[in-house]
Amino acid sequence: MSSSILICDDSNLARKQVLRSLPDSLSTNVQLATNGQEALELLTSQSFDLLFLDLTMPILDGLGVLQGIKDNNINISVFVISADIQPEMQSKVLELGAKAFLQKPVKSEVLIAQLEQHGFL
Amino acid sequence: MKNINLTEDQKDCLQEIINVAMGQASDQLARYLDTFVHLKVPSIEQVDSQCIIGALNSEDDRVAVVSQGFFGYEGVRGEALLIYQPKDSDKLADLLGYEPGELSVEEQIIDLSSILTTTFLNVFASQIENQMSYSAPRLLSSNKGAISEHIEQQSFNWDLALKVKITYQVTDYSFNCDMVLLIPESAINNITDVLDRILASF
Repeated sequence: MSSSILICDDSNLARKQVLRSLPDSLSTNVQLATNGQEALELLTSQSFDLLFLDLTMPILDGLGVLQGIKDNNINISVFVISADIQPEMQSKVLELGAKAFLQKPVKSEVLIAQLEQHGFL
Repeated sequence: MKNINLTEDQKDCLQEIINVAMGQASDQLARYLDTFVHLKVPSIEQVDSQCIIGALNSEDDRVAVVSQGFFGYEGVRGEALLIYQPKDSDKLADLLGYEPGELSVEEQIIDLSSILTTTFLNVFASQIENQMSYSAPRLLSSNKGAISEHIEQQSFNWDLALKVKITYQVTDYSFNCDMVLLIPESAINNITDVLDRILASF
């Protein structure tokens, strides 16, 4: 299955970590955003299947993106990948519609297990 | 003025390592206080030892500061300062559920600082393949003179340092504290070698 993917993180290193953790079958159609606002602009103008989303970002943070996705009725699966691992934050993002919460730095095996669980592999 | 020359990639890598450490420290704080800690993007900038006192003091007149030195292998070292507003430190007893007089405000502040500092630095150290040991935390009396004097002693053997500032905001109680790390230039040189190794693996 070919999926179109957006990776949103203000850190270049973190974007690369996600990209490198993706299996080959998913890593062909990937776009990058460096903050939440950029991500929302891309999400409202193009169609994506999957968003990997950081939380702590300048301009617009990850919670803002999740809210924007909700407000605009954008149909997308969101995996949050964050260093902010507080239990309350994890339940907050799941309540806002994220499919999964992954701890930073992301591990390839964890990411792949989540992709399988949600039918992307 | 001299510069600590970090490339954009090195700076980004350091920032990401700090984010991960900050996330785990705030998780510990949240569990300890049974509340939620709001995080902002941390700031990283270089400071001159001559400007540091002004830079810290300009932010507030009266503060309570807990200072703790840290030491790793290969000359990695620095100073962690936890900075509280006095009005916020008064809220701590409530936050921690202590009876009046059970534990002094000073002891509470030191407890809280130890949790934040050791968690942050242990996670930071493991990511740069290092290990930290710590000096005993010291509560500096809450007047400008004492803090300046302490910083002056600490900064005596460096001219230039990297200053990392992280704000932990406990939203339920409108309580804030700032963590300021001062990492001298000589220690940065060792850290950048590890950053380059991490970057080379991508």
